[in-house]
Amino acid sequence: MGEMNPIRERLREVYDPELGVNIVDLGLVYEIRDEPDRIYVCMTLTTPGCPMHDSMTGAVRRALQDLAGGREVEVDLVWEPRWSPEMMSEKAKEQLGFF
Amino acid sequence: MSRLPFFFIVAGLIGFGLFHLSSLASLFTWIGDGVRGPTGWFSSHLFVLGWATMLAMGAVYQLLGVILQSKLFSVRLGYVHFAVFAVGLASLLAGFLRGEAAWLAVSAPLVFLGILLFASNVWATLICAGQWNAITVSAAAGVLYLVMTGVTGMIMGVDFATGWFYGMHNRLFAVHIWLGTVGWFGLIITGFSYKLLPMFYLAHRYPSGLQTAVLIVWNAAALAGAASFLLGGRPWTAGGAVALLAVAVALYNLHLLQIRKARHKRCPGKGIAWSVNGNQAFAVIAVLAAVWALANPERLSDQRAVLVAGWIYLAGWVTFMILCYASKIVPFLWWTWKYGGQAGRPGTPLMADLLDERKVNVCLAVIAVSLLAPAAGLALDVRPLVAAGGIVYSVSSLAYLSLLGLVFRR
Repeated sequence: MGEMNPIRERLREVYDPELGVNIVDLGLVYEIRDEPDRIYVCMTLTTPGCPMHDSMTGAVRRALQDLAGGREVEVDLVWEPRWSPEMMSEKAKEQLGFF
Repeated sequence: MSRLPFFFIVAGLIGFGLFHLSSLASLFTWIGDGVRGPTGWFSSHLFVLGWATMLAMGAVYQLLGVILQSKLFSVRLGYVHFAVFAVGLASLLAGFLRGEAAWLAVSAPLVFLGILLFASNVWATLICAGQWNAITVSAAAGVLYLVMTGVTGMIMGVDFATGWFYGMHNRLFAVHIWLGTVGWFGLIITGFSYKLLPMFYLAHRYPSGLQTAVLIVWNAAALAGAASFLLGGRPWTAGGAVALLAVAVALYNLHLLQIRKARHKRCPGKGIAWSVNGNQAFAVIAVLAAVWALANPERLSDQRAVLVAGWIYLAGWVTFMILCYASKIVPFLWWTWKYGGQAGRPGTPLMADLLDERKVNVCLAVIAVSLLAPAAGLALDVRPLVAAGGIVYSVSSLAYLSLLGLVFRR
């Protein structure tokens, strides 16, 4: 069993406020890099132009603030590759009553 | 996010509450007595401008940025628009109540100016973004119809004062109503639902061809109806416009079913589920109405038929859709304003925590059922039924409004 990534685990506490599912299980987090001078997170949202755009990126920064320990938290919001429902974890699919 | 949409949406909700309180006070006699008099003008303009248009304008300001992923052309112009429109409308309504032409002569141009400021801001935003699709074209065309509704309203006002357009007044009145209801509300509601419904259903990979078809047929209905009424409203041309509208509504509903079929979330929220149910009921009624209109074209100008159609369209479809979507829009606005800066911290509530879905379901169910009684009462000319249904409709609407108001205490 692989070691748990503390950054990824912390991001499980960030919820999409409309769907009520955390962003990791939703499959919104594409890449995490724990670098000496910064924490880098590449993520997307369920729909381009999601109205939660600012809130979600801010939420990720806030959630990682103490893990960063003074380092910069860079959140890159991308639309490619486009998110699709298949990216959700089984747990998220079950929670949403996935069709 | 700017607070601009918030001002319009709260003002719209207040307008909705005032409309129901005044309707309850008069036991809905303003509908039965006909809407073409100071009391009817007051109630209909409070409903159409103070509630539905006010809220729709707020929704346009909120959703344009989301759809275009760009900023509004001018937020400051938006605030000026709000001030001019709100002051003009309050004065216009007071003018109707007092029956004073001088008030109307000052306030109506202010309302119209507010509409022009809104249109300039929306069109400038759309042109700057340069992204043309079924949603943005619907928004641009809907706003154009709103301006044309204002123009015809202004011409009618000038006619009252001068008599310059004697002989054209009834035609202008029909065009005014048709463009405002079918053009403005119709295109704004359908256009924005193409963005909102897939978002709430988490729908992906659904066909979008019908969006263009709906846009074309809905615009054709709006223009054909306006042209028909302007040229005297011959029964067959007016019936043709109604039939075109029914086709557009049917196509629109087919597309809603396509979106629902492509969903990945079982329940989009009770309000959104009710919006789809309401749309399907509206489609059935629209098709039946078109069949009736084509079979009885000479009765299309009958005041009772117009009242029933107006009630079903404005209270049954436009308002019901706005109420359904308000179950998402109001919590979103409040959550973003109050909790947006706390998201990511433990204990931050979700949007679903702000509004009791079970109560939303009950309120919308009662509103949906109670809407039918005034329609039946108007159709059968049974005034007690109009009053009784209207009272239940108003009380349930006020209960729903209170429920939405509670969001601001969370």
